[in-house]
Amino acid sequence: MLTNAADMSFNPRYHHTTTQLQEEQMIIEAAKLNPEYFGPLYDKYYKQIFGYVYQRMDCKDTAFDLTSQVFLKALTNIHRYEYKGVPFASWLFRIAHSEVMQLFRDQKNKRAVNADVGDMRNICEEVQEPFFEEYLPAIQQLIKQLPEDDLQLVELRFFEKRPFKEIAEILDITENNAKVKMYRILEKLKKSITNYKL
Amino acid sequence: MEPKFNLDRPKISDEEINKNKDFGNLVKQFKEQSIEKARSDKGFLKKGKISYAAVIAGVAVVCTLTYLTVSKINSNKTINDKTATLKNTTTPIAETKTAFISPPHKKINVPYSSYKVNAQKGGDIAHHTKSKVKVPKNAFVNKKGEEIMGDVEIQYREFHDQADIIASGIPMTYDSAGTKYHFESAGMFDVKGFQNGEPVFIKPDRTLTVEMASTNPEDHFNQYELDTVAQNWTCIKRDKAILPKLAGPTPKDEVHAVAGNKTTKALEEKIAAIPPKIENEKVVYAKKISALPKPQTPLKPLKSGGRPKFELEVDYKEFPELTAFKNAVFEVGEENKNYSKELSSITWTEAKISEGPSKGRNYLLTLKTRSRQEKLVVYPALSGADYECAYKTYEKKFADYNAGLEKRQQDEKRLQDEMQAKQEAYYAEQKKLSADLLKEQIRIHQQMEKQLTEQFNSMGNQQKITRLFQVSNFGIYNSDCAQKMPAGAYAEPSFTINNGVPLLNIGKIYLIEHGRNIVYEMPYGSISYDPKYIYSLCVISNGNIYTCSKENFSDLTKTQQKKLPLEVLNDNVNDVADLRKAIGI
Repeated sequence: MLTNAADMSFNPRYHHTTTQLQEEQMIIEAAKLNPEYFGPLYDKYYKQIFGYVYQRMDCKDTAFDLTSQVFLKALTNIHRYEYKGVPFASWLFRIAHSEVMQLFRDQKNKRAVNADVGDMRNICEEVQEPFFEEYLPAIQQLIKQLPEDDLQLVELRFFEKRPFKEIAEILDITENNAKVKMYRILEKLKKSITNYKL
Repeated sequence: MEPKFNLDRPKISDEEINKNKDFGNLVKQFKEQSIEKARSDKGFLKKGKISYAAVIAGVAVVCTLTYLTVSKINSNKTINDKTATLKNTTTPIAETKTAFISPPHKKINVPYSSYKVNAQKGGDIAHHTKSKVKVPKNAFVNKKGEEIMGDVEIQYREFHDQADIIASGIPMTYDSAGTKYHFESAGMFDVKGFQNGEPVFIKPDRTLTVEMASTNPEDHFNQYELDTVAQNWTCIKRDKAILPKLAGPTPKDEVHAVAGNKTTKALEEKIAAIPPKIENEKVVYAKKISALPKPQTPLKPLKSGGRPKFELEVDYKEFPELTAFKNAVFEVGEENKNYSKELSSITWTEAKISEGPSKGRNYLLTLKTRSRQEKLVVYPALSGADYECAYKTYEKKFADYNAGLEKRQQDEKRLQDEMQAKQEAYYAEQKKLSADLLKEQIRIHQQMEKQLTEQFNSMGNQQKITRLFQVSNFGIYNSDCAQKMPAGAYAEPSFTINNGVPLLNIGKIYLIEHGRNIVYEMPYGSISYDPKYIYSLCVISNGNIYTCSKENFSDLTKTQQKKLPLEVLNDNVNDVADLRKAIGI
């Protein structure tokens, strides 16, 4: 629906209107008292959190297990949750991010990067380089070699197409910091792509 | 160890994701974990951390939520159902090989204007379309986050009509919750910043203010920023059209114009002169009234009543009113407390009368000896025939007095009427002058309004409306309104060139709506349109631009012919103005 301008300024799956935030806050307060009332939040965010987890690994079953782990951790710690002006989703994503990183520390072979050819083309466009399919293995290799922090930013921005505001909230950094970091990563990638072509 | 890279991994279906959702198990796990924790923390219940108040509050919140949650789940279910239906009926769009922003032809792309701004000082940039870019002090940082010193190059360009939009190659589609809309544009701009060829960034606590001149005065637009990675527009806020501050006469100027006008000045002087005239007339008539003869009240003779009395010789020259009281005696009034019979037996060496406390009615009699003085209030009184005679005279004089009084009252009324008539004449004059002054002021106001209107009309369209943007990132911004695809009729033309040769490898088909500033990107095969509007077409194929005029498109819709001849633009194109002409803007 295109009725409310304010609603459209954000990703509606992630950001909310004031009313939606208030309603969600009431559910959170209820869930703090009775875990049965966590249900609507679980239903609402399960797919998003699974998507986030599975995006970073190869094994579907591990992703489902880790998603359950994220929600169990969220439910266990919900009494500590305090509303700080960002959606509940950002708190869940931070837990998911922390759990995923913990898993990769324990089992490095679980880490995988998942992207589409279209995402690769987007990266080339963003660094103003022409895209040819024969470049794909080289670009994949460049992305795989990125440090974990940089890889996370590329995943969030290019493979999950999240706005910088959302990325900043998930990674708990400022929006501008996210933009500047992304610019540096793209510059590195541009250099590497140019070198590869030479 | 490098991570594994999966390219185009198959997506997991919603069914599979939902199959793995198990909220019951989550709660079970949570409870088991809590019991385990409680066992290891035996003091928990003893400490009485759960109060009755908390339980009551909890029950209250839970009850409220039961309603909210149920209604929310139902509404979510409806939305999900709708989304599911939408997804099932949407045909997948074939992946294009072109870049997200893809200008169709180098020659017609809208060029950037380049401006230099000192980063420390900031400054205002005036674009040729009358738009302004206001750059605050110390607004830029480099890629390392360090503050930029020296000059920064600002590159700026604007897009105002369908030709600009097509020429720019900027997608004007907006995806909202899976529904594709096209933008009706009130103007768009692209702003970039560089130093020594390196891009610069706007500091987080700074914003550039762009006052974009707009041709569209309507007020139903939103501001959007283009996210080139998400390949969609992000709505920023509701846009507001700001009317221009004209250089012509202001209300202050109008006040000056009224004050400086000879006619109004003369009228104001005349109006100001009237109240003193009225005051003057009041004075004149007050004098005339006071000058009217005042008849003297005649003295009513008093009949002698047996009070102690004095016989005095009166100088009638000094007291002419006593002429009518010849042979009068002066009776001692009752108010004289000092009177005693003894006073009548004293031989007074001097007796003198003067005006008494009631003028014309009584007199003050002063009696003196060498060693004594007495003062008595005395009343002239008559007796017998003297009284009769005096009374007759009094009656005659009293009748004369009444006649004189009546005449005076009549004269006074006449004068007052005269004065009032003159005042009313002045008031009428004042009213007329005030009306004339108001007319003159209105005339001046209308003249100024006319001047303003003429000035407004003589301005170019792009100078009329301003749309204010706060830019915190360099990029592409627009003031647009999302519109649905036109509907009502369909055409399925085969595009031909050079007398019937079919046009192959069609890249993009733009349907240009005339009357609203919209360009629709159409899929190949079927063009939907609203018969109420007039359209022209622009087709991009193999880097060439082909156009179909409004007239040809109208013929197509009327005759339902299949073949639609297109004109190639490439040979004659120099800039975007040629495209504008070809599509009939």
